Amino acid sequence: MRSNSVGWLFLAPTLLILFIFGVVPFLYVLVIGFTQWNSFAANPDMQFAGVENFRRLVFDDQFLYSLWLTLKFAFFAVVSEIVLGYFLAQLFMRDFPGKGFFRTIHTLPLVIAPIAVGATWRLLTVPGLGPLPYYLNRWFGYDFNISRYIDQAFFTTVVMDVWHWTPLVTLTLLAALSSLPKEPFEQAQIDGANRFQIFWHITLPLLKPAILATVFIRMMDALRTVDEVWMLTGGGPGAATRYIGLHIWRVVFPKTDYGYGSAMSLITLYLTIVMCWMLYAGLVARRELKRVD
Amino acid sequence: MYHFKSLAASTLTAMLLASTSPAFADFWTDAAKGMEGTTIRGISESTPPSNYAKDVLGPAFTKATGIKVEFEATSWDQMYDKAIKDMEANTGIYDFVYIEQDIIYSYLARNFLVDLTQALNENPSLKSPDFDPSKFTSFIDNFKNDKGDLFGVPMEAFIKVYLYRKDLFEDPKIKEAYKAKYGTDLAPAKDHKEYRQIAEFFTEWGKSNGEELWGTTVQAASGHPASVYELVESVFPTFGVYNWGIDTKTYGASVDNGGRLNSPEAKAAFAWWIDNLAYAPPEATSSTWDEVAATFAAGRAAQGLVYGENAAWIATDANKSTVVGKVGVALPPVEPGVMDEASSGAGYIGYYDGGAFGIPHSSKNKKAALLWLQYIGQEAVQADWALAGSRITHKATYDNPKVQEQDKKVDGYYTLMREKGPLFRGAPPFPFHNQVREAIAPFIYQAITGELKPDEALDKAAAAADAELKNLGYRK
Repeated sequence: MRSNSVGWLFLAPTLLILFIFGVVPFLYVLVIGFTQWNSFAANPDMQFAGVENFRRLVFDDQFLYSLWLTLKFAFFAVVSEIVLGYFLAQLFMRDFPGKGFFRTIHTLPLVIAPIAVGATWRLLTVPGLGPLPYYLNRWFGYDFNISRYIDQAFFTTVVMDVWHWTPLVTLTLLAALSSLPKEPFEQAQIDGANRFQIFWHITLPLLKPAILATVFIRMMDALRTVDEVWMLTGGGPGAATRYIGLHIWRVVFPKTDYGYGSAMSLITLYLTIVMCWMLYAGLVARRELKRVD
Repeated sequence: MYHFKSLAASTLTAMLLASTSPAFADFWTDAAKGMEGTTIRGISESTPPSNYAKDVLGPAFTKATGIKVEFEATSWDQMYDKAIKDMEANTGIYDFVYIEQDIIYSYLARNFLVDLTQALNENPSLKSPDFDPSKFTSFIDNFKNDKGDLFGVPMEAFIKVYLYRKDLFEDPKIKEAYKAKYGTDLAPAKDHKEYRQIAEFFTEWGKSNGEELWGTTVQAASGHPASVYELVESVFPTFGVYNWGIDTKTYGASVDNGGRLNSPEAKAAFAWWIDNLAYAPPEATSSTWDEVAATFAAGRAAQGLVYGENAAWIATDANKSTVVGKVGVALPPVEPGVMDEASSGAGYIGYYDGGAFGIPHSSKNKKAALLWLQYIGQEAVQADWALAGSRITHKATYDNPKVQEQDKKVDGYYTLMREKGPLFRGAPPFPFHNQVREAIAPFIYQAITGELKPDEALDKAAAAADAELKNLGYRK
């Protein structure tokens, strides 16, 4: 009993900080989500609006489009990062000349602030100034203009995200690969399994927890991406890269529609939790069910 | 004898100056007594006039008063974000904020700003003898309330003008080629048809001569409000669509609700502007006001609508501009009848932009900020500021020899502003500019990328503006 009290006492500062900086803002957003509050409205005071903001969301084409776009972005970015990260991790498992140097260079994007990543890519791609559009046009006659063509802008944001975050996936999978037991692989080789069979039946199942954790982290990051994209495209051209984080930012800050923006944030949080749960259920619970059978 | 009289007069003048100068300088020292060492913080957009205030006037004020000025010059959207958050939350980070002409109505509606007239009346010891609101141009009226009380001291005012490459327009070879092609003389465009023709000509000229030259700039950033502003404030009026196409009495935007945002004139204006992209450099769709100026300064466009605050450096600063001495200035092209409407006061032909510094109620150093605002509002500091930022807020600045000298180098920009300024107008007195802008912006952007046709985009924009105005409680 006494040790419990001491434990709570030690935990108290952390819990207090979590409560102040985590729970209180969340509750605040929750309350505002049920109000109509725009500081530049005819009536700038906060007024209770019931579920009106949530009802509006269902019919808001721009919000739904942003949501769809974010899911598309997260899918392309995370899948690319996992695949690329796995191959790079496999590469780093082997010895080759300059491995240490290459590994250091490859990890560098991770330490760059997202806003700086966005600025760098903007300088690379800005039409009329950036080297990428210049050389693509000069060498291949390709008109690369991310401020005009929506598909180019979308995939540039995906490539930027892959460039920035693949090293994280590589490091995670490298750590997981390094810790795998040797025995199952040796046994499979003795039994005459080919490389694909070893990958499919041994490596992949053993890596599953690490892959799952990485997918969770990257998916949550991708769903809330703001700063890099804001710097690179500002959400344009048109609405091509107006991902949900940017959309909420525009509603809450330039438009000062706090009530509606809070409702959007809550729905986005809810959807993120649901998606993570579904992913978890799909990848882990199914295995648990199989084990029970 | 003559020499003696002259010497005596000079001595007397010197003595008078010597006796009056300390008194003049002493006001700032006396008024700032007890405030030495105080630091006032302010935020503004990073523009040539703001940077002059930051780099030149701030240190000079510190030297005169002992009050330090921390000046944050940042991007336009960041500036508003930070200033509004600070004033709403009453945190008191900023002691003075930039108030653009169009946002003053929102700030006054929210009672964010200190009444400067009242503050000076309550603190006579802080009233500078060199600060006189009557010496300002009529632009200062934008920052007064119904009673005539002042809420901001203008620090910049300029018009968005039509800049063109004088060297190209006067090149005999080019003139000859133009006349051979179109049968008319090459001259600054008076209407939209001429403008398009010139744009087309120079784009082809650039291509055929292997030059990086296009016919026009377009401020068409496809994800930044700058494009919305160019459309509603600079292009619409030249087609006779005023006040953003919103009815100032009913606050309706669509034609069905009494507005003109999706009127045939607005649609013609938007289609003309979008079609100009074919004659603009590739950076046009990522160009805000800054990039448009940079494009023109880099010699990549033959003509364009450029914010006047950039005119001086484009025309005179060889370190930043490749077209020094080659810049012509004229009024924007307009549709028939629009100039008459503007002359009669029923309409206008373009945007009279500018801003002021005001003191938020949340400021913790109001008295020090009050002194700073008067310091930048002195007539004595205006001329050099006008040279650095092509902005004029005082009537007398136009007659200053330095400004007149510069006027010649900028092809009469200052004279144009003085004489034709009344043809331009600031934003309408709406307290909801940002909200309506954000509501219509997605459709403007989608028209720039070609996802929507201009007329479809304006129909959707007008419907969105109506819905937003209703939601905000303004629609009558």
